[in-house]
Amino acid sequence: MEGILEFFSLALGQRALIASILVGTMCGVLGCFIVLRNMSLIGDALSHAVLPGVVVGFIIAGISALGIFLGAVAAGLLSAVVMTWIQQNVKTKNDAAIGIVFTAMFSIGVMAISKVSREGAHLDLDHFLFGNVLGLSNADLYLTAFITAFVLLSVVFFYRFLFATTFQPVIAATMGISVNAVHYFLMLLLSFAVVASLQAVGVILVVAMLITPASTALLLSTRLKWVLAIAAVVGILSAVTGLVVAVYFNTTPGPAMVLMATLFYLIAVFFAPQKGLLFRYLHKRKTQLKIQLEDTLKQALKLDERSQLTMDNLINRLGFDKAGVKRHVNTLKGLGFLSLSGSSLNITKSGVEEATKLVRAHRLWETFLVKNLGLTEEQIHEEAEKYEHILTEDLLDEMEADLDYPVADPHGSPIPQKRNEPVHSLSGMMARQKAKIDGVQINEYLVTRLWRLGIGPDDAFEVLSATDHTIVIQMEDEDQVITVPVSLAKKVSVVSER
Amino acid sequence: MKPSITIKGLSVSYDRKTVLSNIYLNINPGQLYGVIGPNGAGKSTLFKSILGLIEVNSGKIEIFDKKIAAQRKRMVYIPQRGEVDWQFPATVMDVVLMGRYPFKGFFERLNKEDIRIGESSLEKMGILPLRDRQIGELSGGQQQRVFLARALCQQADIFLFDEPFVGVDITTEQKIIQILKGLADEGKTLLVVHHDLSKVKAYFDQVILLNQRLIVVGDTESTFTEENLAKTYGGQLTMLHKTAAMKK
Repeated sequence: MEGILEFFSLALGQRALIASILVGTMCGVLGCFIVLRNMSLIGDALSHAVLPGVVVGFIIAGISALGIFLGAVAAGLLSAVVMTWIQQNVKTKNDAAIGIVFTAMFSIGVMAISKVSREGAHLDLDHFLFGNVLGLSNADLYLTAFITAFVLLSVVFFYRFLFATTFQPVIAATMGISVNAVHYFLMLLLSFAVVASLQAVGVILVVAMLITPASTALLLSTRLKWVLAIAAVVGILSAVTGLVVAVYFNTTPGPAMVLMATLFYLIAVFFAPQKGLLFRYLHKRKTQLKIQLEDTLKQALKLDERSQLTMDNLINRLGFDKAGVKRHVNTLKGLGFLSLSGSSLNITKSGVEEATKLVRAHRLWETFLVKNLGLTEEQIHEEAEKYEHILTEDLLDEMEADLDYPVADPHGSPIPQKRNEPVHSLSGMMARQKAKIDGVQINEYLVTRLWRLGIGPDDAFEVLSATDHTIVIQMEDEDQVITVPVSLAKKVSVVSER
Repeated sequence: MKPSITIKGLSVSYDRKTVLSNIYLNINPGQLYGVIGPNGAGKSTLFKSILGLIEVNSGKIEIFDKKIAAQRKRMVYIPQRGEVDWQFPATVMDVVLMGRYPFKGFFERLNKEDIRIGESSLEKMGILPLRDRQIGELSGGQQQRVFLARALCQQADIFLFDEPFVGVDITTEQKIIQILKGLADEGKTLLVVHHDLSKVKAYFDQVILLNQRLIVVGDTESTFTEENLAKTYGGQLTMLHKTAAMKK
């Protein structure tokens, strides 16, 4: 511990700390756009491709921060242009083109560095590959600070261009935004970030500082501005804790920073709200519990109909463990669906209503499986047992409308009807009566159902004949004759003509 | 009536393969146009040309008597649902406010007035309460309305829809078509690429039948005939039989 404090009291320790914070912020923010644009491979490629530029910069300007910086940026941009040119003009796959260019550039860089350093120059390949955050000079630090400021300000000023071209490039183009210009500008920023991070983590690992904190942030928020902020924070945390860990264990800082970033990512993978694995597991558990509760209630209703509702019968029917059933009964009691006094178990009025909804769902599903999917009566019960829990009431209404308001399921059991039949329904009309279809119907799926038959809101019609099964009507303006099943007609609200 | 879009002798080809050939077309405001034709007929290329997204080989396109570049703000393109990354970290408001981007200078930022216009567009589409939702959390119909709201936010005069009904349920489809008819009544120009031939008569005032050449354009009642469809779809007879069966 003391060793760490001592380290940060040294000038080189402080420079390393500041550089880590800067690099963490810059890479985190920029990385979000790289990840969202599916450019992770390009990020990796550019970082490798700057290497020959570093050597050329060094040969021309000696060991100056600016010379190396300019050389690296030039190499980065050159590679970006060549990659894009190959992708657009040569019949080579996009990712292969990227791979070909960056490995070639990287090889030139490695050969050049070993040649130059063998001739006595002070240029250490390892420092470029894995970083040398402890060897930063003041000039390096100023340059890093300047680049970070430039990158962050660019993101702020050009936020809307970055957002539009990343989210919907085609739409951005219709608005007159040059998608290509934004792409190359982003490449420029990316080269800047890579060069600035070179000293901290090195070319091989810099891509991790770009994509790992950004991916972590994307698991934690669904708002881009928050994603950018979180990525910056996670980037800083990874870089600083990585540095501390490296000092403590006396090892290389670059890989330590990357591993810390990976650790934060893993934490997010498991514990992120909504997108995390733990959350999703709990959500699944909750759904399972809901299904068990609903099954308990439904079986209670069935037993009650035969006056056999006791705790023992319920346990037998449900076939899950005794304690579990008791727990569910207690929960349902708390919800007011069941009542339990001493050993007498009863289902309440609201319990019956709730259970009837499930029966309705179950029988609608059975009807659907037979009518629309062609399953046989023997096959459907098990399936319907599963599906009855998943649709909302709205969707069930839609399914009912789609099935033309069936009255019984394939086994012949009646399907409980929702009590929402209109006061003046089409089924109540007799031959020769005239009326208009009400503009307001019980639900919008019914409107759709009617539309498909050729009946619109406010259409006037005359009833030609009415039997127990069908009602035949003639539309006034088109003389069209339409047959409506009574089950459907019951639900249709009409306004009689005066 | 003055046309909103004038196309004179438009030809486009990719890799020496002709996609559109010598198209002459006037498109009028206040009308809902269906753009109909088989796959590869050049429907999206026609849209891209009008939007100024591709280089054309020859021909001239004018939007309200001016060059495309001068009229970008007045046009909106609503892409197919499948082309959108619904996982993208963008909220409903983020997307709608994109409609204000064309009005902003290079360094200018969005202001309160932009936000107000965005909110009123959401209000008109009935999705103001969803303003802070991530777009992937919405239903298909709500998602389409987000893009319609963006178009309103841009106060555009010309709307280009690429298959707006793919992947939406029938109820939503009818709601959307009502909204489109309302926009046409306000004097906007609407072009809709559409595949389902059975709905053409119910939905569109005008049809553009296209298959590399312009087959015919005109009001739906007199233009959307079996004869013209045969010219458009050529040998794809099964399709035609289907339509014929549907009409009976």
